[in-house]
Amino acid sequence: MIGVYTSLRFSFERETCVGFLPEIDGWSTESLSVLKRNFGLVPKIYRAQLLRPDLVDAEIELLDRLLFGKGALTRVQKEFILLAVSAENNNSYFPALHCQTLQFLGVKPEQSQQVAIDHREASLSNAEISLLDFARKLASNSQSFTDLDVESLRKSDFTDEQILEAVLMVGLTQLLNCVQMGLGTEPDFKPRVTFPLKEVNPAVDSERQIAEPEFAGDVVSDDPDFEIVARVKNGETDAFEELVRRHGRRVYRSLVSILGNAEEAEDALQDAFLKAFQALPNFEARSRFSTWLVRIAINTGLQRLRSRKDFDSLDEESEEFRPRNIQAWTDSPEDCYSREEIRKLVEKEVMKLPLKYRVALMLRDLEELSTEEAAAALGLSVPGLKARVLRGRLMLRESMVPYFSKAGVSKP
Amino acid sequence: MISCQDFISELGNLLEDDVASEIRAQLEAHLAHCNTCQVLYDSTRKTLRIVTESGSFEYPERVVTKVMDRIRNNK
Repeated sequence: MIGVYTSLRFSFERETCVGFLPEIDGWSTESLSVLKRNFGLVPKIYRAQLLRPDLVDAEIELLDRLLFGKGALTRVQKEFILLAVSAENNNSYFPALHCQTLQFLGVKPEQSQQVAIDHREASLSNAEISLLDFARKLASNSQSFTDLDVESLRKSDFTDEQILEAVLMVGLTQLLNCVQMGLGTEPDFKPRVTFPLKEVNPAVDSERQIAEPEFAGDVVSDDPDFEIVARVKNGETDAFEELVRRHGRRVYRSLVSILGNAEEAEDALQDAFLKAFQALPNFEARSRFSTWLVRIAINTGLQRLRSRKDFDSLDEESEEFRPRNIQAWTDSPEDCYSREEIRKLVEKEVMKLPLKYRVALMLRDLEELSTEEAAAALGLSVPGLKARVLRGRLMLRESMVPYFSKAGVSKP
Repeated sequence: MISCQDFISELGNLLEDDVASEIRAQLEAHLAHCNTCQVLYDSTRKTLRIVTESGSFEYPERVVTKVMDRIRNNK
């Protein structure tokens, strides 16, 4: 590329986004290679923090030095601490991720699972059992943790350097677990570990309190719904009806685009508004009400989608798309058909688009959300949203060539 | 001179009239001699217009009552 054209803001080829997670923009290649080398993928927990790539880089450096790097404890011992402490916290995300990692290290999945469930029954040496007793106690019962616990590890022949690493691994795991809880990141893999007699954290298709997209700490002051929202929060339930009227179409279109079915979208719309009403006391107006609501609708739709047997995973990478059918269109394509025919044609062809392009296109072109609003609603970066919308438009254009080309017009 | 791939990369911004003037000049220079990109630009622009004005996926207003009934029953 030459001259000023180097300021291209995104590359059409670079639509690498997985699901509805942010693009891998602004991330150091070093961090990416650490993650790929050790996990074989970029786990969602790190993607989910990309509003601050500098902080993610710092976290990954800590991970690299403490967990992946050579230390006084073996890598497997450190991984076991991470598993046991996560299980102690009833966290299902990290066992799912690290059972996979331990498999790369030659540990059988059954043994990793047993470490998470009950490390005492996991065919470990007495020293390793003491190590995990120590880690679990520090994580779950730190008030009763004393020098005696440190002494018990010394008696099992652990050096002070190893004990220090064990303490740091517990701390790292607590940090990671807390971040995952706070962000509600869903597992990269279906959790293999179950926790008998315990309730686990959100699994793939579980309900979770919808989080507002947070971009700035300030309250959005120009929200046209501000007044009505305040009235509802003050107990005027009937005022909520105005919010349903204002945003019903937007919520409905979001849901039709995800579920591909009008009847189910109508049901899901009711669920979404009910959830929004119930969560309204926690809405702090750091985004527009409408953005927050669309996000709830999208999450509601996705939860329903995941419960389907034929659920087409959002994590699928799409193949490259290139426009092929290049035929000139008539000057006024709208005059070729009646308004009703065009409405139906658009509905039919939009529904054929892959999910992630369909949702982006509908929010942007049918609902006419701004790029920033649509990106916020989908949890995407602005370039990521633009790339999806463009892809959707190009695919839709391709499917409409037979109806509007000068070469010949067929009936929809 | 920019390539067709470069043109497609900027097509989204061009459709939304969100390109800096020097980039616009390069895109227009490309369009002036590339029939394929001309057709692509024209037909994508028309697609966008058709979708935006289609009024597709209109929602059934009866759901407003259903939503409010559920909310009142859940209180």
